Formats: sequence, structure tokens, C-alpha cells
Amino acid sequence: MAQRTAEDRKRMWRAVDVALAVVLTVGGVGYAVYAIVGRWGLDQGYIGDRWLDYVFAAWVSLYVTTIAFVIGLVIGFFFGWIRATRSVPLGKIMRDAKKVADAQGLDHVPFPATQIIWHGFKYIVRRFGDAFVAVIRGTPLFVQIVFVWSVLLIRVPTLNPLVLASIAGLIALTANTGGYQSEIFRAGLQTVHSGQVEAARALGLSKFQAMRHIILPQAIRLVIPPLTNEYIGLLKASSLLIVIGIEELTGFGRREAFDFFKVFESFALVTAIYLLLTVPLSRVIAYVERRLRIPGLGIQEVTAPRAPRAAT
Amino acid sequence: MATEAATGQTVSRPGIVSLGSVVRVAETIVGAVLLILILQWVLEFEIADPRLWSIYWRPFTDGIVGSLGYIALILPVSVLMGFFLGWARISRFRVLAWPVATYVDFFRGVPPLVIVIFASLIGPSLMPERFQSRTLGLTLAALALAFHSAAYQAEIFRAGFQSVHRGQLEAAQALGLKPLQAMRHVVLPQAFRLSLPPLGNELAVLIKDTSLLSAIGAIDIFGLSQDVQQQLIFTPGSDLRWLFIIWTAVALVYFVMTYAMTTILAYLERRVRVRGLETMSI
Amino acid sequence: MIRVVGVHKTFGPLHVLRGITLEVPKGEALVIIGPSGSGKSTLLRCINLLVEPDAGSVFIDGVHVNRPEVSAEWVRQQVGMVFQSFNLFTHLTALQNVMLGPVRVKGMEQEAARVKAKQLLARVGLAAKAEAYPAELSGGQQQRVAIARALAMDPKAMLFDEPTSALDPEYIREVLDVMTALAREGMTMIVVTHEMGFASNVASRIVFIDAGIVLEEGHPNQIFGNPQQERTRTFVSKILR
Ligand SMILES: Nc1ncnc2c1ncn2[C@@H]1O[C@H](COP(=O)(O)OP(=O)(O)O)[C@@H](O)[C@H]1O
Ligand SMILES: [Mg+2]
Repeated sequence: MAQRTAEDRKRMWRAVDVALAVVLTVGGVGYAVYAIVGRWGLDQGYIGDRWLDYVFAAWVSLYVTTIAFVIGLVIGFFFGWIRATRSVPLGKIMRDAKKVADAQGLDHVPFPATQIIWHGFKYIVRRFGDAFVAVIRGTPLFVQIVFVWSVLLIRVPTLNPLVLASIAGLIALTANTGGYQSEIFRAGLQTVHSGQVEAARALGLSKFQAMRHIILPQAIRLVIPPLTNEYIGLLKASSLLIVIGIEELTGFGRREAFDFFKVFESFALVTAIYLLLTVPLSRVIAYVERRLRIPGLGIQEVTAPRAPRAAT
Repeated sequence: MATEAATGQTVSRPGIVSLGSVVRVAETIVGAVLLILILQWVLEFEIADPRLWSIYWRPFTDGIVGSLGYIALILPVSVLMGFFLGWARISRFRVLAWPVATYVDFFRGVPPLVIVIFASLIGPSLMPERFQSRTLGLTLAALALAFHSAAYQAEIFRAGFQSVHRGQLEAAQALGLKPLQAMRHVVLPQAFRLSLPPLGNELAVLIKDTSLLSAIGAIDIFGLSQDVQQQLIFTPGSDLRWLFIIWTAVALVYFVMTYAMTTILAYLERRVRVRGLETMSI
Repeated sequence: MIRVVGVHKTFGPLHVLRGITLEVPKGEALVIIGPSGSGKSTLLRCINLLVEPDAGSVFIDGVHVNRPEVSAEWVRQQVGMVFQSFNLFTHLTALQNVMLGPVRVKGMEQEAARVKAKQLLARVGLAAKAEAYPAELSGGQQQRVAIARALAMDPKAMLFDEPTSALDPEYIREVLDVMTALAREGMTMIVVTHEMGFASNVASRIVFIDAGIVLEEGHPNQIFGNPQQERTRTFVSKILR
């Protein structure tokens, strides 16, 4: 019966493990809070008085984020779609033109000018999209914000500074998230593309039907989790609007910390609000992703698992 | 590369500097030059304007040096931490996994700017007397930035570890390798290779995030450029279009730094690439 | 050579092995058959301690191995294992796969290990593929490399867990040929397989496992030609079909 005790020992170790894990986690968080509160003291009266102002500041963050995100969806889908399409070599256009001519029994092949212009146009838009995404991803959001702000400052100097800052911030955030979202859409559409379109066309579906019934349903499933992560990332990124003086949650918290010397209280409120907004959402996404995942289909594994870390 | 793999034929190891990568670099340079030319034309500025550069050159170069200094401090700390946290996260010992999960949740849930600002405000008061100095807040904020990125890198490494097939570990054990040996010779090399591309992205983000330190007075390229911006705005009669020069130059600096980072990581990835097993890239 | 006495294993509520007793004398090849989920893989894993038996004993070469004093690494050096899914190390070439064990576990010199690995690869007919990575090899070739990798540890016995069931039909032959040659050379083997031709020609005995117990065991002719148990009969008729 030595085996029984071995089994029991294993179970006991597991219990010890769990207990230690809980102690360490709770204790660690508790100690961090204690260490900070111990130094600064926690002014509950201040928190009671001001928490609604923080909630309002958080609302500003959410408001800006949501507007930028929704406009960014349009930009992102457009560029993502364009960039997902493959470029058609000139040779193929000529060959296709010849095929059409042969089928119609023409003895000379008409020059496919419209085709070339159309594909050339798509090529230019695609390369422009590539450049746009490269710039957005290659430079800090801080720089993007300040750049847009200085363009407005010089071009529309009569604008009220606060309005100017708001518009500049919104434009920068929108462009930023548009760039990141186009990567998401591109990955989503391209993941579906290969093979599936051919299979759909082989079944006799039209190009449009294939998009509608085969590609989009798969792409949407693929794109929703990273888009949600992008929303979370953008919410965090909106804190950078501080640089042009927009008082969303972070900026407000910093001013409170300085104006009233309520550093810990401000930190606690700001952090708590951000965590409340982000952690449940990303947990839900992780869960949904695990549950709804079609085996073998996922872009998170293919693209970088950037999780809620898109912007900045 | 992918097509070579598909044919399953033995092909020579892809050259470290392939023609494709040279073309890509060239394309990027041409694109950047074109973009700057277009910006100059649309916004009516002259990027090489000597009058601005005579005052901006010093802060510009000092700023680059400063930023590189912060990167040199933050990057190794974050990668080391991220690696071990990622490892701990998949441990079957909950003592390791649970606290790390909490750590990751916290740092990923809060904007890095919040972490930077409050690390510099709260941090110094928590440190013992003998560490106190004028730059302590800044150093702590830089470390906090590393902790923040480490949370993301932990997730990257965790995904890398988890995508190594279980059978690999079993096969290693069946040969008689000890757990640490199996980790060292079988799991790590594979997890590392799988982690490289996303790690490149994350390190690029980290480089950009060092700009956040300017919010608490760091001497970096973004902060110093902001100072020059203030100076220009409050000097009556100065040409405000010089701001475009400043921010285009700063954007270019960050672009080059992040591009270099991702290129280095891509190079590393090619070095450890396994024929027939190219990571899917789309 | 290998003796298993009254081994039990449970996974949570699942009682997978319910008292298995087996003996494989030196130089013999034992084939295990049985329905999927009956515990064949678990039994093999209990022998090289990839899975720790809950009760019962495993003896290898007379040594009682499932005791705390015996290191699992030592046991695994005594018995090589070949998996259904090959499990070649994807980041190493065929040659490096074969060299890893001797170098890292036995502390053999790189050069000596290389020579030995080349010989082994030649023995499984893959001398030309030494520098290929697993992803560049067919399933049959991968499995033969896996056999060479296990042999490189100079095991006293070999365990094969359905080595051909993940293979396309055209590759099964080449793997079975290697295994047959190995058995003819006197290697002690336990093979889980449903390749009846191989079992009839090579096995000295066949064991039929069902629901975690040995239901019937005997000479191939008896198990395939004249099974005593009803369950064995239905199972054999299914795989012989
Ligand atoms: N590590 C494990 N954890 C839980 N259940 C397991 C584990 N390994 C095997 N099992 C279960 O034990 C049973 C027997 O598995 P296995 O030995 O692989 O069967 P066979 O190889 O005969 O098909 C199966 O029901 C399987 O799901
Ligand atoms: Mg099995």
C-alpha cells in the first residue's frame, strides 16, 4: 500500500502548492498596497469626494477611443482589403486580354488599357497603404500626435487651442488605429484567401458570392478578437493625448496628483478604472477565442500575438 | 521560401543576406525619401534648412544618444524578465504561475504612461535612503517600462513554449534526458525560434515606448525636441514650419530604430530557421 | 528481460490499466494488440516510466525500476522508445537527432557520436539524408530516423507504439523491414501494432489487451487462427478483414 501514500503525498503537495500560490499572489498585491499606503496614507475623504470626476475623465477616454476606433474601422477595412489582394503581373493582364480576344474570335488583341489603369491604380493604393502602415507602426504615437497638432497649429492658427488639440488628438488616434486595424483586416482576409476562394469558385459561386458566403464569415470570426484587443490597446493609447493637454483619465489623474499631492489616491483610482475597463474585456476575448476557435484557423498565431498592445 | 519548403526538396540554406531582403531595404529607403519629398511639398518646408539645424543639431544628437541609453537599459532587462516570467507562467507549480498571471494582467491592463508617471512619483519614496538621487524617479520609471514590456514578452514566450509539441518533450525524456536538459536542448531552441517574430514587434513597440519617459523629464529625442518646439513657439517671429522639420526628423529616427530592431530579429530568425519549417508569414 | 507484474494505472476516474502482467524474455519480440483506448500506450509508457504506475512492479533486466531510488533517466536509457507520431526534434537534422542522446545523456564525444549516428542512419537506409531536417523527410523516413535515434542509446530493449499507423501505406513496408531486421538480430522488443503480417512473422507471442487487462496471450498462430476468447475473436476478425 505504499502507492496509496504516494498518491496522498501528491495530493498534499498540490494543496500546498495552491495554498502557497494564493498566499504569494494575494500577499504580493497586499504588500504592494500596504507599502504605498503606509508611506502616503490613504485619504478616503478625497476619494469619496473626487471619484466621480475620475469616472468622468474615464468617460472622455472612452469617448475619444470609441470615435477614433469606429472611423478607424472604415480606414482599416479599406486598406486591409486593398492590401490583401494580390498584385496582378502585367504579363497576366496581357495573356487574359488575349484569351478574351480568342474567345470572341477577334484576330487582333485590343490593348487592355482599362485593365492596366485599374490594376495600376490598385497597385498604387496598395503601396500607399503599405507606406501608411509602416509609418504608423514605425513611429511613436506621441510623435504622430504632435505632428498632426503642429500641422493644425500652422494651417489653422485661429482655432481655439482646446478645439485644436481635440481635433488633432482625434485625427492622430484615428490614423493610428486605422493603420493597426488594416493589419488585422489584411491578416484576416489573407488567412481565408488561399484555397478557399478557389474551392468556392469551383462550386460555381460568383466572386461576390464567394466573398459574401465564404470569406467574410471566416474573416469576421478571425478578426473580432484582435479588433477587440485593438480597442483595449487604443484605450490605453489615448492616455498619450496628455502631450497636447487633453485631460482624459491619465492627464486628469496626473494633474490631481500634482495639484492636491494625492499621488497614491490618484494612482489607485486611475489604475483601478483602467483595469476595470481592460481586464474583464480581454478575459472575455481570451475565453471567446478559446471556445469559438475553429481548429486550425486563427490569425493570432500567425501574426504577432500583440494582444491588447496595438497602438503607442 | 515557402514554395521551396512545399516542394520538400533539399535546398541550400537561404543566404543570410538574401536578394529579397536587400530589395525590401531598398524599397523602404526609396519609400521614405519619397514620403519626405511629398511632405515637404505639401507642408512647404525644407528638411535641410540650416537655420533650424544650427539650433536643433545639438538637442537632436543628444536626444538620440539619450534614447539609445534608455533602450540599452530597458531592453535587456525586459527580455530577461519576460523570458523567465513566460517560463514561470507555464509551470505546473501554481506558486509560480499564479503570481505571474496577476503580474501580467496588471501590467497589460494599465497604460504604460500611467505606469511611467506614477513609478516616478511613488517609486522613490519606497526606496531606501542610500539610493536616493535626482535621477532615481527616472530610473525607476525606465525600469517600470521594462516591467511593462516584460509582461507582454512573457505572453510571447509562453506562446512559444506552448507551441512546442508535447511529443517533443516525451521523446527527449524517452532518450533519458533530464528535465532541464530536455528544456535546454529540445524545448528552448524551438520555443525561441517561434518567439522571435512577435518578439521583434514587441521590441519595436518598446523602443517607441521609451518616448513616454519624456513625460517625466527624460533627456531623450522626443523630450528634447519638445523643448525646442516650445522655444520656437514662444520666440516671436520664428518660422513655425520648422516644427515640421523637427517632427519629421524625430519620426525618421524612431522609424530607423524600430526598423533596425525588426530587421535584426528577422536576421536572427533566418539564422535559426529550419528548412521545411518556415514560420508562416502572411 | 522485461517483466511487468500486476501494474495498475488510473487517470482521475479512469482506471486504464487493471493489473497487467507480462514477461518478455531476452531476444524475443512481443506484439501487443487491442482496441483503441484499451491502455496499450499507457502500458508502454509505464515500462519506461514516462508514466508512473500506481501499483505493481516493472522489472528491466532483473532490476525493479519503479522505485524512488531508481532514476527514471537511467531506466529510459535501458529501453528505447519509438512513437506513433515520430516526435523527431524539428530543429535538428536527422544526424543531430540521432547524436543528441549519446552526446547529452551518455557524454559521448561529438566525433564518436557522429560516426555512430552515421552508422545507424546507414543501418536504417538513410545515410544520404543525414543533413536533412525532419520537415524535409517523408513519414517513413522520419520514423526510421526515430528508430536510429532510439538505437543510438544502445538500449537493451525497444518499445514501439504503433510505429506505422501514422504512415501512408507506401511507407509502412520500409519501417517494418527495419523492425524485422532488428528483431532478427536479437533485439528484445515490445511492439504495439496491428500489422498482422509483421506480427505473424516476427512475434514470438501476441498479447491481446482489452480494457486494461491481458485477455489472451499466445503464439501468433493461436491468436489469429484459433482465439479462445469471444472478444479476441471479434477483434481479430476486424483487423484481419
Ligand atoms: N495522460 C493521460 N491523462 C488522462 N487520460 C489518459 C492519459 N493517457 C491516456 N489516457 C486515457 O487512457 C486511456 C488509454 O489510453 P492509451 O493507453 O493511449 O490507449 P491505446 O494506446 O490502447 O489506444 C484512454 O481513454 C486515454 O484517453
Ligand atoms: Mg495508443
